Amino acid sequence: MGISMIQAILLGLFACLASLPGMGGTTIGNYTLGRPLVGGLIVGLILGDIQTGIIVGASIQLVYIALVTPGGTVSADVRAVTYIGIPLAILAIRAQGLDPSSEAASGLAASLGAAVGTLGTVLFYGTATLNLVWQGIGWKAMDGGKWDTIKKTIPMVDFVFPWISHILFSFIPTVAICMAGESMVGLMKDYLPMDGIAMKTLFTVGSLLPAVGVAILCKQVVQKPLDWVTFGLGFTLAAVMGCNLIASALIAVFFALINFKVEQLKTARPAIAAAGAASFDDEEEEDI
Amino acid sequence: MPKTVSKKARNSAFLRWIYGNLTCFSQEHMQTFGYLAAMLPVVDELYDTEEEKVTALSTYRTFFNTEPQIGTMVVGLTVGLEEARANGEPLDDDTINGIRAGLMGPLAGLGDSIIVGTFIPILLGIALGLSTGGNALGPLFYIVAWNVAMYFGMKFAFDQGYELGGSAVEALVGPQSAALRSSIVMVGTMVIGSVAATWINITTALVVPFSADSSLVLQDTLDSIYPKLLNFVFVWFCWWLMTKRKMSPTVVMGLLVVIALVGVLIGFFNPGLSY
Repeated sequence: MGISMIQAILLGLFACLASLPGMGGTTIGNYTLGRPLVGGLIVGLILGDIQTGIIVGASIQLVYIALVTPGGTVSADVRAVTYIGIPLAILAIRAQGLDPSSEAASGLAASLGAAVGTLGTVLFYGTATLNLVWQGIGWKAMDGGKWDTIKKTIPMVDFVFPWISHILFSFIPTVAICMAGESMVGLMKDYLPMDGIAMKTLFTVGSLLPAVGVAILCKQVVQKPLDWVTFGLGFTLAAVMGCNLIASALIAVFFALINFKVEQLKTARPAIAAAGAASFDDEEEEDI
Repeated sequence: MPKTVSKKARNSAFLRWIYGNLTCFSQEHMQTFGYLAAMLPVVDELYDTEEEKVTALSTYRTFFNTEPQIGTMVVGLTVGLEEARANGEPLDDDTINGIRAGLMGPLAGLGDSIIVGTFIPILLGIALGLSTGGNALGPLFYIVAWNVAMYFGMKFAFDQGYELGGSAVEALVGPQSAALRSSIVMVGTMVIGSVAATWINITTALVVPFSADSSLVLQDTLDSIYPKLLNFVFVWFCWWLMTKRKMSPTVVMGLLVVIALVGVLIGFFNPGLSY
């Protein structure tokens, strides 16, 4: 038994809502509709077999119970895991005549889910890359300086245009793969091998791009060459000493406190500040 | 009479943020457009002339990314700061963005570990227990519990942030302001350094064979010089291209695609993934 056109369209629609940068938003989209357990209920409703849907969803959910995606690095794509993986798993379980609650069935569901999840990271990068075009439209409106245009354009950029990204990278792939069934997964594996140049470059670009975002931040805070030392200390805390961001922030606050006290003393004792500042700093004198 | 942001505009900013924080996500500007969309009704209400509105909104053009649910607090905070600025407090863009940059790293760490890493798994654990045998009670429990908790949690964070924004201003523009501002920017810079080491993961797969049983694994050598050296190199390189070579982020990204392709061809990069 396959999946009908209408069923595939509904699955595609939910894939648009549930992706990581999804049209359902973060709380309702990604963290509710994108969880495989919830997806199991929804896929079950669409395919007319709630019980199997939830059983399959639950066994895939176990694999992704603590799926954290720090800073937009995605190891598995929820839209693919949930709205391609679960329907395919249900099809496969039915095709092989397995009992949905058996261990073989849940193993099959988990591995199918993981396979399409990895495949789905391509969809994640596709969506995020196409969104650059909409953001470009937004920047152009901001640069134009016309408030009426900005007021209309920004909400369009944030709430409406990304639908186009999702029609291309969530809706169409979900509909196509669900209709083609599980043979599609094998086919894509053959034509876009992970060790091919295209896929390797895609994932390498994915790992390099966050450097641009961080560099934009550096542009904001690095005013003089010595600020790189401050940056370097933060970098060292995380890279060498294994501090997580909360620990790094706490240490940063400690140094900032010392800095604050020193600066405060300068303001409180203008004479010392003037003597110290006269040699190298003009800005301090303006403050006094 | 001092200007205040009406409840309606605050609510609109809140709803726009909790829905749209990631809808227009890109690797370059992750939550920036969600932020712009959320601040728009606030800026629109606070300022009268077109020029003031455009200038105020332009403050939020800066890259923003955090755990968006706990990050609701930052949005509330900037609504408070923007209100103070509209009333003539001398808050400059650097101060507001320093606060945003200083908060987004630690809040992301907190949110990822507490909300995504702890709260969700606990809820899902209970829900999985309830859904034995395909019982719909499990997923329904998760849908209700999670969304109710998050809606009220985010509303609380937003309101707290908004109130804090008003009182934080005193400290930010008073006589001690220069000292405080340089300290805040210092926290921001250090946290960004940690972010560069945590959220970016650039490694090389290059191996130079010398003889049958000895070869140089470049990544090991780099690690012995300094761990995650390539992260630092690439961030610095992108920064250098943008500030010293005046390239736009889009051009830098195009260049990175070329670097990735060449790197893959010569074997410098290899993500080593398989299906």
